[in-house]
Amino acid sequence: MSDTLTPILKVQGLKKYFPIRKGFLQRVTAYVRAVDGVDLTVAPHQTLGLVGESGCGKSTVARLILRLTEPDGGSIQFKGQEISRLREGRFKSMRKQIQMIFQDPYSSLNPRMTVAQSVAEGVRIAGIRVKSDQQRRIRDLLEMVGLPAASADRYPHEFSGGQRQRVGIARALSVAPRLILCDEPISALDVSIQAQIINLLKDLQQELGLSYLFISHDLNVVSYICDHVCVMYRGQIVESAPAADLFESPRHPYTLSLLAAVPDIGKTAWSPQPPNESLQVSPAPQCPFGGQCPDSIPECQGEPQEMVQVGVGHYVRCRRQTLR
Amino acid sequence: MPPTNDILLSVEDLRVHFHGEGPAALAVDGVDFHIHRRETVCIVGESGCGKTVTALAILGLLRQPPARIAGGRIHFDGQSLLDAGPAELRALRGKRLGMVFQEPMSSLNPVFSIGDQIAEAIVAHDLLPEAEVRGRTIQLLDDVGIPDPEQRLADYPHQLSGGQRQRVMIAMALACGPDMVIADEPTTALDVTVQAQILTLLRNLKRVKNMAIQYITHDLGVVAAIADRVYVMYAGIVVEQGTTAHIFHQAGHPYTQALLAALPTRDKRGQRLYSIPGSVPHPAYKPKGCPFHPRCEYTQPSCEQSLPEMCDYSGGHHARCPIIFEHLSRRQNHS
Repeated sequence: MSDTLTPILKVQGLKKYFPIRKGFLQRVTAYVRAVDGVDLTVAPHQTLGLVGESGCGKSTVARLILRLTEPDGGSIQFKGQEISRLREGRFKSMRKQIQMIFQDPYSSLNPRMTVAQSVAEGVRIAGIRVKSDQQRRIRDLLEMVGLPAASADRYPHEFSGGQRQRVGIARALSVAPRLILCDEPISALDVSIQAQIINLLKDLQQELGLSYLFISHDLNVVSYICDHVCVMYRGQIVESAPAADLFESPRHPYTLSLLAAVPDIGKTAWSPQPPNESLQVSPAPQCPFGGQCPDSIPECQGEPQEMVQVGVGHYVRCRRQTLR
Repeated sequence: MPPTNDILLSVEDLRVHFHGEGPAALAVDGVDFHIHRRETVCIVGESGCGKTVTALAILGLLRQPPARIAGGRIHFDGQSLLDAGPAELRALRGKRLGMVFQEPMSSLNPVFSIGDQIAEAIVAHDLLPEAEVRGRTIQLLDDVGIPDPEQRLADYPHQLSGGQRQRVMIAMALACGPDMVIADEPTTALDVTVQAQILTLLRNLKRVKNMAIQYITHDLGVVAAIADRVYVMYAGIVVEQGTTAHIFHQAGHPYTQALLAALPTRDKRGQRLYSIPGSVPHPAYKPKGCPFHPRCEYTQPSCEQSLPEMCDYSGGHHARCPIIFEHLSRRQNHS
């Protein structure tokens, strides 16, 4: 297989069950299936969107890939190599190639370190030993993310939200990663600043040939920036499709209700039919959307549904699709 | 257009300054707007534009100092709110003027049941017999779409989901049948599907209860979903006002245009997003003239001299930019 076809990241059957403990003895009474058999593929130089609502497990997926949380099962392949069972020492060198950008850059930057110090850590880890080379690399990184050279000696609190996110991006880039996990990178920013950061992420992708896993609840942003989109609900991927297909012909009832709920400045008659709210505690083994689904049929009560292919690269986890 | 005597709330030339070290921060710097009865008006702007401070000034909830109301008038149904004493304001708030804030968890008291908290909002204004208070509390919870309201009275805030907490906040705001509810980013902390439920709820309640809503948000999508009319704020002033159609299809201020162009949407795939250069000015160090001029594509020397007047497009559409106004009227004359 040629290098361009090997996915940069291939996740299969990824699982994380968090125990719920109760009582004096803290016995495990149940599990929250936070991530319940997730498959994802990020193609080189592409952006994979992972969308879903709070608590659906999308951030946990990112943490599992970086092994900030240890997975309970499944495989994670980075450039064809299995990394989910590597020992800590071996994994460390891998982690350089996978970096993360967080939602709130303020809480993910050390307030006592200047920007240059924060970025320098990564530059040293990337193996640049000579002081003057380090300085040059820091300058280049800041320039790359659009920060003035003078910002190197300033502290995080001196920056606005958008600039802080730029610092977060510079720090992620300092170890020369191939894949960046972006966890709601623009949710905390104002609209005018969001556009700056989105443009920056796209520019960097082109210049450096980066791949992104873009985690977001904002479907407008995802529809703009992503090549392929996975919709997650209660720990499972319920639909996976090229972005254009997903937004033009969504197939899963949950995707439909999610899209209908997005207020859109182009929609005049906006009338969402959102699903009911409820808590995520050990859903029944059948369809996770079950109770909330407007289109459920008796067959939905059976065995867990596998993904069904409904188009080129378009997969849906819905019993109704098998009965067509 | 409703007749002008139908105006419920009017704010004229409101100025709120914050005093601390250094020069005063002019958070609200001459804001004019009005809300008719039974109308939903969105105040939209980015963080720091003064939209929340304006709402707090209306409600009399600004802590003074550090805040100081440096000028202007606020009238609610003919009554001047800036001249009203604390007791008068207290009688108004929660009774005729409801409020809903962004974070329901921090606005609800964690150690009281939701039934008690809603009852308190009722009893604060209407001394009713206990049974009647209970009846009204159940009715309110039912109105805001909480299932089995009788069973939920004894629930504590932590037992509810984010969306349900916000429903309880709305129930409290509605407790005394207000003429107007001020909602400050009530759905910002919620998921899109829950947000959709709350917006639908507010739209229905407004119709059923005949009330006006002042809805403060930074989200233009929400504006499109809920507003009758819109005020766009930037750096403490209103830069544009009009119906949602005016704002989204004929924006007359460069800031409004830029915000719309900066929104990532599916139709813009492959195109570069417009990004407004620079950032919002600090309220203590605002540029002279039009506060948007350093970031504006259409800036002319005159923009730096003085704050432009509102230009009157027809149909209640106003924008504070003579450059675009002249450009558009010239184009209209040519065609």
